[in-house]
Amino acid sequence: MIPKFFVNILFVFTSFLVVSQDLSYNALTISPDLKKDANAIIRLNDVSIVMETASKMYTKGKRVVTVFNKRGNKHVNAHAYYDETTKIKDLKAIVYDGFGEPLKKIRESDFKDVSAVDGGTLYSDSRVKYLEYTPASYPYTVEFTYEIVNENTAFIRSFTPINDYFLSVENSQYSIAYGEEIQLRTKENNFNAIELIKEDKPGILKFRVKDIPAFEPEAYSPATNVLLPEVMIASDKFVYEGVFADVNNWKSMGSWFHNNLLKGRSAISTGTRSKILKLVDGVDNPIERAKIVYQFVQDNARYISVQVGIGGMQPISAIEVDLLKYGDCKGLSNYTKSLLEIAGVESYYTRLYASRDNVLNVKNDFVSFQGQTNHVILNIPDNGNDIWLECTSQDAPFGFIGAFTDDRDALVITPEGGQIKHTKKYLPEESLQSISGEYSLTGAGDIKAEVVIKSMGIQYDDKYKLDSETPRELDKHYKTRWRYINGLVLHDFKIVNNKDDVIFSENVVFEASKYAKIVGDRMLFSVNAFNRNREIPNRYRNRKFPLKINRGFKDVDVFTITLPKGYKIEALPHDVLIENKFGRYLAEVQKIDETTIKYSREFTVLDGQFPKENYAKFRDFFKTVAKNDNAKIALIKTNTNP
Amino acid sequence: MRKIIVLFGFLCAICVQAQDYKFGKVSKEELEQKFNSTDSSASATYLYKYRNSFFEYTQEKGFELITEVYERVKIYNKDGFDYATKQLSLYKSNSNEENFTGLKASTYNLEKGKVVESKISKSAIFENEASKYKNKVKFTMPNIKEGCVIEYKYKIMSPFLSNVDDYVFQYDIPINKLYAKFQSPEYFVFKVNTKGFFAVTPKVERKTGRILINTKTRSSGSGFSSVRTSFESSQIEYITNVSTYELDNVPAMKEEPYVNNINNYRSSINYELSYTQFPYSRVEYYSTTWEDVVKNTYENEDFGGQLKKTGYYENEVDALLASVSDPKQKVTFIYDFVKSQVKWNGYYGYLTDVGVKKAYKEKVGNVAEINLMLTSMLRYAGIRAYPVLVSTRNHGIPLFPTREGYNYVITCAKFDDGSEVLLDATSSYCHLNVLPFKALNWKGRAINEQGNSTFVDLYPKKLSQDITVLMIDLNEDGSIHGSCRKTKSNYRALTYREKYNGIDKDDYIEKLDNKYNGIDILEFEVKNSTDLGKPIVETFEFEKESQADIVGDKLYFSPLFFFKENENPFKLENREYPVDFGYPFQTSFRIIINLPEGYKIESLPEKGAFSLPENLGIFQYNVVGMKNQIQVTIKSRINSSIIGSEYYVALKTFFSEIVNKEAEQIVLTKV
Repeated sequence: MIPKFFVNILFVFTSFLVVSQDLSYNALTISPDLKKDANAIIRLNDVSIVMETASKMYTKGKRVVTVFNKRGNKHVNAHAYYDETTKIKDLKAIVYDGFGEPLKKIRESDFKDVSAVDGGTLYSDSRVKYLEYTPASYPYTVEFTYEIVNENTAFIRSFTPINDYFLSVENSQYSIAYGEEIQLRTKENNFNAIELIKEDKPGILKFRVKDIPAFEPEAYSPATNVLLPEVMIASDKFVYEGVFADVNNWKSMGSWFHNNLLKGRSAISTGTRSKILKLVDGVDNPIERAKIVYQFVQDNARYISVQVGIGGMQPISAIEVDLLKYGDCKGLSNYTKSLLEIAGVESYYTRLYASRDNVLNVKNDFVSFQGQTNHVILNIPDNGNDIWLECTSQDAPFGFIGAFTDDRDALVITPEGGQIKHTKKYLPEESLQSISGEYSLTGAGDIKAEVVIKSMGIQYDDKYKLDSETPRELDKHYKTRWRYINGLVLHDFKIVNNKDDVIFSENVVFEASKYAKIVGDRMLFSVNAFNRNREIPNRYRNRKFPLKINRGFKDVDVFTITLPKGYKIEALPHDVLIENKFGRYLAEVQKIDETTIKYSREFTVLDGQFPKENYAKFRDFFKTVAKNDNAKIALIKTNTNP
Repeated sequence: MRKIIVLFGFLCAICVQAQDYKFGKVSKEELEQKFNSTDSSASATYLYKYRNSFFEYTQEKGFELITEVYERVKIYNKDGFDYATKQLSLYKSNSNEENFTGLKASTYNLEKGKVVESKISKSAIFENEASKYKNKVKFTMPNIKEGCVIEYKYKIMSPFLSNVDDYVFQYDIPINKLYAKFQSPEYFVFKVNTKGFFAVTPKVERKTGRILINTKTRSSGSGFSSVRTSFESSQIEYITNVSTYELDNVPAMKEEPYVNNINNYRSSINYELSYTQFPYSRVEYYSTTWEDVVKNTYENEDFGGQLKKTGYYENEVDALLASVSDPKQKVTFIYDFVKSQVKWNGYYGYLTDVGVKKAYKEKVGNVAEINLMLTSMLRYAGIRAYPVLVSTRNHGIPLFPTREGYNYVITCAKFDDGSEVLLDATSSYCHLNVLPFKALNWKGRAINEQGNSTFVDLYPKKLSQDITVLMIDLNEDGSIHGSCRKTKSNYRALTYREKYNGIDKDDYIEKLDNKYNGIDILEFEVKNSTDLGKPIVETFEFEKESQADIVGDKLYFSPLFFFKENENPFKLENREYPVDFGYPFQTSFRIIINLPEGYKIESLPEKGAFSLPENLGIFQYNVVGMKNQIQVTIKSRINSSIIGSEYYVALKTFFSEIVNKEAEQIVLTKV
C-alpha cells in the first residue's frame, strides 16, 4: 500500500511539469496585454510545498521570468536564503534567449553566496545564494528551480502571484500537500478583480491564477500589501525553532508565544533592580513610574540589530540587555517590560507591522505571523487608555509612537493569551502645526522675518529629529524648507523640544534680499512667506487605485506684515474658503492700517479612503491651495509730491 | 606672589597636557567633557588614535605584516553612537587570509563621580564571510551613553606584505591626538605617497632588527659514534626604517555638494611596495614610477596580451569593414559593433577577467574585456588606437604611481589630421567623446605599442548644451498656451537617454506633466533618441493655468514662466573643496511671448549680463518689447568642469543673481 501522503507528493511534484511542457519560452509570443507597462513577466511561478508533519516542510519551486528591459532585471529574483533551520537542497537556472533557445546553464556552485546582512543589521547568521547574470540582449528568460527543506513551519509562504509594479503574470500556481495531522487555514485577499482557481481535496490544496497585467504605482494609493491579491496559509500545528505549537486563534497563539518565547527572560540584575526601585520610590501614579522607567531605558540602552538563530522572534534575555546596554526591538521591549514590572507597572509585549507608508493591520481573523508583523513595541493597558511605547528610540517622548506604528491593529501578548488591539491614531487636529510670525519689507524689497513654529502629533514626528542636528545642518534645513526664498540668510534659531507635552517649537529669524520684486513704481510679493504648500499630486490620465490619505493634519498660520515706507497698497488677494471631504482651506488678508497687513491661513487635510474617481478632485484641491498660497500683494509708490 | 601664579598656571597647563594614553587610563576629565572645544558640532572625537604596522619574522611563516590599532573615542551625543560599532574588512585569497586577534575593548562612564568600566563580551564580536575575497569583523561596545568614552585595541596579522592599508589622517569627526608608525625592514622598499589638503610629514629614523634562525642538523655517525643532533642558532641583523606621525587637533571633514570624491581631499598616506631585495637574492620590482606601472600593465597577459589577440573576431570585422575606407567611419562602425555585440557585466578593472575571446563569445564582459577588444579591433583595422587607463570618480584621483591607482580602461583613437577621439563601449548611450560620467575624472594615461604612456585629459572640452525655444500665447486670464522645443547635446543628451530611453511615451509625458507641476501636454515628440551622433530634440505643445498674476488691470509674470531657476543649488556659506560639475555646459532660452489682445507693455526687466571671474561663467539676459510681442533671450554658461573653492562665494552669488534675474517681472496694462 502506498500511503496517501506519498501519492500526494508525487502528484504535487509532477503538477508543474504538466504546465511546463506546453510552455514555450519564446518571448515573441507573449500577449500584448501582458507586455503593456511591463518590464518583465512571470511566465510561470510554481511553488509546491509538502508538509507531512509540523516539523518539516519541503518547498520545490520553479520560477520562469522573461525580462524585457534593464528595469526588469530585478524581477528575475533567482535567490534562496538559508540558515541553521533552512537548507537548500537544489538550486539551478537556465537562461534562454528571446526565441526560447537555451543560452547558458547555471549550477548551484555558480550562484553568489553572501551573508544576508542588510545595511541596518550588525549581524545575521542568515545567508543567501543568488544568481548574478548580465544579459547580452533583451528579451531573455531565466528558468530558476530550487528545492528547500525547512525545519521551521511557523511561516508558510503565502500565495502572492504578484508583488511589484511593472511586472505582469502569465501563470502562477501554488500547492501544498499536507499530512493527516495537519489542519490548514487559509484567507484570500483582494481577488475581486482576478480569478482565483482553487482546488481543495483532502491532503492537498491548490491555487492558480493567470494573465494578470502589469500595474504602475500611483501616489496617494493604499499600500501594495493591502492592494495586492494574496492567499495566506497557516497550519494550526507548527514548529518554530524546535518549539511545538498547536493554535488556531490569537488568544492561544499569544499564550504559546508567552510561555515559550517570553517567559523566564525577564530577570534583572539586583543592581539595576534597586536602581529602578529607588527611582520610582515615592511615586504613586503608575504612569509617572512608567515614564521614569522609559526615561531610564532611553538614557541607558541603544538599538542594535543582531539576528542570531531564534533571534527571529525571541527576544534576548533582559539580563543580557542590562549588561550590554543594547538590543534590537525585541530585546529592548522585553527589557523595558521587565523593568516596568519591577516598578509595579503592567505592560505587554506587542507584535505589529511597522512602516510609515505601509499601514498594515494584523488580521483578527487570520492567525499567523507570516507577513503580518515585523516589529515589537509595548502596550500599557492603563485601564483602557492604552499607552504604546516605542523602545528602540532614545529620543521619542513617552507614549509617542508617531507614523511608524500608529493607527493599526497589533497583537498584544499577555500571560492569558493574545489579543488584537488598535494603536493610537493621530487625528488631524492633533497633528497640528501653528506658525505665528511677522515680517517687514524694506524699500529695496528685502525681507526681515521672525517666526515661531509649533508642531504636534505627526507633525512633531516629522521634526523632532532636528533637535539633535548640528547648526550647519539646521542652516541647510531652513534654507531647504524655505527654498522659494532666494538668498535666505539665517540670523538666529532656537529649538525647544518639549517632550512632556509633545510640542516641538522652533524660533527662527532670517533675512533675504529682493524678496519683493520691484517693477517700476510697484512692488510685488507673495503674502504667504512662511508656509506655502507647493505640492501638486501627480496626475494620472487613467487612475486605477482608490485615493488613500494615510494621515490628516492641520496647519494654522497667522502672520503680521509691515510694509515699506513710501508704498501703499494697490491690490490685495481675495479671501478664500474651500471646504470639501478632503479638508478645508482658508486664507484671509486683512488691512490693519496703512503699513500693516494681517494674513491668516488654515489648511486641514483629512485622512480617509475614497473611490478612485475622487482623485482628480483631490488633486484640484491641492492645486487651488498651491495657487492661493502663492497669491501676491501689489504695492505702489505713494506720490512724493502731493 | 606673581611668580606663584605663573608657576601655578604652568602646572595647570601640564596637567591638561598630560593625558594618559595607556589602555584603561581614561580620565575623569575626558568623561566630563560635554563637547569638543574646537568643534562644538562634533558628535564624537578620537581622543587618541594609534596605529603601528610592522613586519615580524617567524621561522614557520616568514615575514608577516602586523598592524596594531588602539583607539580612544569620546562620544558626545546620540549621533555619535555609530562610532561605538566598528567594522573591519579582512582580505583573503586561496589559502591565505588576514587574521584578527587580541581584541580588548571597554566602555567608560561616569557614575556618581566615579569612572566605571564595562568590558566587551564575546557575544558582541561577529565575524562572517562577505565574499570570496573578504571577511568582515564587526564589534559593538556595551553600555553606550551620551558622554561615554570607548577604547579598543586589536591586531591584524596579514600575509599580504605588499598590501599596507592607507594611513588615513582625517575623518568625519575630529582627532585630538594621532600617533602612527610604519616600520619596514630594509628588504622591503616602499614608496610613500601623500595626498590631501592637510599636509603631514613623518619623522624618519633607522633602527636595527634581528632575525633568529634555529637550525637543527642530524648527522649519522660513522663507525661507533652514534647519531648526533646539533642545534645551531644564527642571527641576521637588518635595518628597519621607521616613520612616525604625530598629529594634534586634526579637524573633521565635512560633506559638501558637487564634490567629485571627498577622498581626493582626505589627508592620507599610502605605502606602495616598489621592490624587495632579500640577502643573496635578486631584486624583485613591483612598481616605482608611472613608466613602471605602465610597463608592468602592458606586459601583463590580462592587458597587453589581450590586445594582441585578433583571431576570434577577424572574420566579422573583415565583413563589417568590407566597403569602408574612411578611418573615421571605420571607428564608428567598429565602436557600434562592439557595443551591439558585448554587454557590460557591471565589473570594473583594467585587467580582463575571463579574457576577450570568451567575453566575445559569451557576449558579456568587464570593462577591460570590452574596451581592450575595441582597441584591438581598431588596430586590426589600421587605426592608431590606444588603451587609456582611467580612475573613476568613486575611485579617486591617482596622484601617485600605483598599480591600484587606476580601475578602468577606455580607448583613444587618433587620426592623421591630428584629431583624436575617446571611446567607451560599455554603455549603450555613450558616444564618440561622450564617456560615462563616472569616467570624467582628471586625466587618463594612454599606453602606446611600445608600452610608453602619455596623459589624456578626460574632462570634456565641448559644451554640453540645453537649448529651449518657447513660443507662448499669454491669455487675459493668466493662462498660457505654447510650444516648446528643447535641444540637448553631448552630456545633457547622455543623461536624458540614460534616464528616459525605453520608457513608455505616455509614462514619460506623465513625468513631464508632473515635473512642471501639472502642465497639460498636448502634442509630444522626441527625435534622435537612439541616433547618438545627433542631439536629442524634444518638442511639445502645452497649456498651463495661472502663469500671470492679475492685479487690478495689470498682468505680472516672469518671462520664463515655469521654466525659471527657482533655487540656488549652493546653500552653504563657504566651502573647502572645489565644485566639480563634470563638464562645461550652457543653458539657453529663446522665448517669444504673444501678448493678450488689448494689453500693452508697461514695464520690462532691464537687459543685463554678469560673469564669474577668470571667464569661468557668464549669464546674459536680453529682452525686447514690441507692440504685441516680447522677445527674451537668456543664456547661462559654465566654462569649466571644475571651479576652485576660492571662487565659491562668487559662484554662489552668480547662481543667486540668476535666480533673482529670472524672477524679474514683466508688467502689462489693459489699454
